[in-house]
Amino acid sequence: MKKEAQLFKSLADETRLRILWLLMAREELCVCDIMGVLGITQSKASRHLRYLYHLGWVTDRREGVWMNYRLSVPPGSPEDKQLKLLADILSSRPEAQALKDRLEQWLAGKDQKDRAAACQCS
Amino acid sequence: MRAEARSFKSLADETRLKILWLLSGTEEVCVCDVIEVLKITQSKASRHLRYLYHLGWVTDRRDGLWMNYRLTVTSGSPREKLLKLLSEMLAPQPEAQALRGQLAHILEAKQDSQFARGLKPDRKKSPQSLPET
Repeated sequence: MKKEAQLFKSLADETRLRILWLLMAREELCVCDIMGVLGITQSKASRHLRYLYHLGWVTDRREGVWMNYRLSVPPGSPEDKQLKLLADILSSRPEAQALKDRLEQWLAGKDQKDRAAACQCS
Repeated sequence: MRAEARSFKSLADETRLKILWLLSGTEEVCVCDVIEVLKITQSKASRHLRYLYHLGWVTDRRDGLWMNYRLTVTSGSPREKLLKLLSEMLAPQPEAQALRGQLAHILEAKQDSQFARGLKPDRKKSPQSLPET
């Protein structure tokens, strides 16, 4: 039953909970996205993401200087059920909805910047 | 989202997980039952039960020397869903089933001895009539 306790421990921290919530909304997120949306330092974001990585919640993919993360829980696994429960509990919370809105805004802003940069280059 | 993190933290410890598992399988447990089933000290059992009490998972009832605890989770609440998930995760595990089996055994033995004492009302207050452990 140590394993189950450890699984619940993954969700026993507010920042990790928020990170998982954001990852559920998108296929993949960059550490920089997590930092920007949650307003936390890179070291804090990376620390929690590495924690989740080592417990098998996420996989990583390097892209230039940044690491990208995506959820990697097998369907039907205890982790998958925990995430579904988390989504169920949080979906009714205004705070959680606000976080998703902030993520959309952040990604839209990033998109614009990317496009502006591409225009300048060509 | 702090409240949710705190709820998950209640289950982030192996002993608390086991205590909640025992509590969700029966109406009420005595600290003495928890001590015996989980083979932990009274101070450890009480510490975790008080933790759960302060977070609102359980209510307490004093019965002589011992404190008794029962779950106080409202139906449909996030915590109830959390307990359901826990049950779903633990039910297929022999280790978890063994714990519930032990608890049932202890509770049964207690009931038997209470019944036996009931048959001899004059011995009701004698110390020998305390349930054996």
